[in-house]
Amino acid sequence: MDRRDFIRRSGTLLAGASGALSLPVLSSCTSEVVDAQSLLAGKRMGMVIDLTKCPSDCTACLDACRHENNVAFHDDARWDVHWIRKVNIRPKEEGEGHEEKTVLLMCNHCDDPPCAQVCPVQATYKREDGIVLVDHHRCIGCRYCMIACPYNARFFNYKESEEWPNKDYPKRSHGVAESCNFCAHLVDQGKQPACVQACREAGAGALTFGDLNDSQSEIAGLVAESSVKRIREDWGTEPKVYYIGL
Amino acid sequence: MKLSTALNRENRGIVATVLGIVILLPLGASIVGFVFSGRSEVPDVFLERADPRWETCVQAPEYMRFYHMDFLKEVREDVVRRGIKGGVTLSGCGDCHRNRNQFCDRCHDAASVILDCYGCHFYPETDAERVAGEG
Amino acid sequence: MDVQFAKIEGRSTAYYVTVSLLAAFGVAGFVATMVMHRHGLYLSGMSNRVPWGLQIAMAIFYIGLSAGSLVVSGLYGVFGKMEYKPFARIAAYLAMLFLIAGLLSIFTDQGRIDRVFTKPFTYVNATSMFSINPALYSGHIMICVLYLWALFKEKGTLTKITSLVVVLWAIGTHTGTGAIFAFVPRELYNSALLPPSFVAAALSSGAALMILVIVGLFKFTNRHLDDELIIWMGRRLLSIFLVVTFYVLLIENAHRAYLAYSHEAGMFFLFGGIHSFMFWIGLIGIGCVVPAILLFVRHTGTSVKWTVFASTLVVIGVLFERFLIVIPGLIHPPELFPGWEITGTAVEGIAAYHISYLEVLQTLGVIGVIGFAFVVGLKLMPLAPTQAKWSTPEEQTAVAAASAKALRPLRA
Repeated sequence: MDRRDFIRRSGTLLAGASGALSLPVLSSCTSEVVDAQSLLAGKRMGMVIDLTKCPSDCTACLDACRHENNVAFHDDARWDVHWIRKVNIRPKEEGEGHEEKTVLLMCNHCDDPPCAQVCPVQATYKREDGIVLVDHHRCIGCRYCMIACPYNARFFNYKESEEWPNKDYPKRSHGVAESCNFCAHLVDQGKQPACVQACREAGAGALTFGDLNDSQSEIAGLVAESSVKRIREDWGTEPKVYYIGL
Repeated sequence: MKLSTALNRENRGIVATVLGIVILLPLGASIVGFVFSGRSEVPDVFLERADPRWETCVQAPEYMRFYHMDFLKEVREDVVRRGIKGGVTLSGCGDCHRNRNQFCDRCHDAASVILDCYGCHFYPETDAERVAGEG
Repeated sequence: MDVQFAKIEGRSTAYYVTVSLLAAFGVAGFVATMVMHRHGLYLSGMSNRVPWGLQIAMAIFYIGLSAGSLVVSGLYGVFGKMEYKPFARIAAYLAMLFLIAGLLSIFTDQGRIDRVFTKPFTYVNATSMFSINPALYSGHIMICVLYLWALFKEKGTLTKITSLVVVLWAIGTHTGTGAIFAFVPRELYNSALLPPSFVAAALSSGAALMILVIVGLFKFTNRHLDDELIIWMGRRLLSIFLVVTFYVLLIENAHRAYLAYSHEAGMFFLFGGIHSFMFWIGLIGIGCVVPAILLFVRHTGTSVKWTVFASTLVVIGVLFERFLIVIPGLIHPPELFPGWEITGTAVEGIAAYHISYLEVLQTLGVIGVIGFAFVVGLKLMPLAPTQAKWSTPEEQTAVAAASAKALRPLRA
């Protein structure tokens, strides 16, 4: 008897006899059954960004992300939401081998995410495969996660968003916080995140996404063989976004 | 001095008035809303049974009628938090139940239960009209 | 010493004007909150870089002010200074109201107010300070209610116990409030000294506000108040709290500016913009040094007028301190690439925060609600004493003996 079946039968059983309160109790029992056989357990999803392959004038990943996830854009720097953004960095001291670089910044999907630690309603949480995402249904909009994130990777929907290019994915109401979620809805279908697909289609191939725990995967090979860096490893948040050429 | 003597007759009047307003305000508001909204008729919840396709719905109609909120919450928890795609989506409801106003809003309006799904989720036909109307 | 309590008359024009004004503030704040809830928080001055603003600063300010009850109940219930018993009821009532004000401020600041009454109770996250603190606040409110009830019913033993519990719980409340910021990995936030400095500033502002409320209340009701009571609170309590606050602030900022890894952030806080003026002039000058000197100098410290002036300065200074806890830590960008500077983006760099008029209305609304409850409470309940007298040394001995006698059932 699978789970749907179980709920269905018990629901029918309960429907006449007991009040609506008994169902949450029931569902809390069934959720444990599912957790044990979770599809996500044992995985550790991460991304490698090869900055040497990333052209400074290309915005393919940014556009694909906005299109796929209906990210809010109000043309006002105070309220624009950026799941992935491009910045230029310049060395403070001039010298040999110190030239300006272009860096992609996004949610680092930390192994110890401070945002999930402080969320009072567990809306921001780390999934079993290591993806940190927001359950918009639970978010009360307290913005504590934005305070806690040291990477400034989290954003808040200050205004109602009317951006809705991708009808398969929800748009955003105002009053909830969010950040990059590695396109978890695509990952669950066995696809790659939108930015990775776009980067590959654009011919750059700077982004690689995959399971860091799977030693056969492309990303695990990249992390093992190249010289990779993560942003501010000294903070101890254990980011899962690796950079080549930073 | 005791609290009972503190709240003497004059003050009891004030306290009773304030408490009365606080308690009666929601009741009064709903009565006013009921009278002026014109939604005095309760819709027939069995209307959907007229459609022969009800047998192919994701769950038994009796179950869905009383527990659709819990069912959808379970699906939601699976999809969002556990990465399990069960094939049931909110937009998928609209494949059979074409009109959201008829299917969701009518009952929710009558029962005064705020529907918090379609601020973000897409309901095919109704929202296509809405988007077209706005554009 | 028998203390008599009486309601205020509350029939003068001034009283009715005050009540209506506070009610109008409350309504304005409600409307402002509903407008923001309807259209989104972009109507506040907050942005993606500064996601917390005036409302959170005011919330922690109110929470700090509730320490007034801690001071008075500590004096009366824990240290047995019976001459401060007349103020215990006002202190407990005000503490309750200020905690409600803090919760109201946080509540009206949420993005999805409609979910606040369900989700935090359904999905508690025990590691979140935002889950722990509301429990501390509402527990504090309930203990204040119990304390108030014990005071109204003149229950000696229960009063002793609850006043002790209020003191302990209040320390937890204020530490927890400081921990909202201290337990967060931002350069200007994560300091283990932030909770202690929050407690110290809370004690200063709480004691200062008690002085203001007591003097104001006795003046407006024409009741008798011995100057010594106020002067003792000013010279023996507030001055010491001020010194401790100053000391903790000094260590916290010196530590930050000294260490290489936080030097840049520390210098930004101390000398980096308009908030630095707030720090040096508003907090250190107006909030600590000037009132401390006023209280320590014999001529001004023994005058009620000067004590009231010093207390006003302290309350204003602590308001600046609360603002300085929240805002500078947000407008200062985290150093993502040490040795590199970030250019060419809309998000990075030093941010700015401007208070919007709707936020001011919300703040006025919260003040209106609790001010209304306080003023109406004075009329409905016998909160204020008919007179407050300083006791002579002989009376103090007698009172100490009486309180020892009252405690005997506990020891048996």
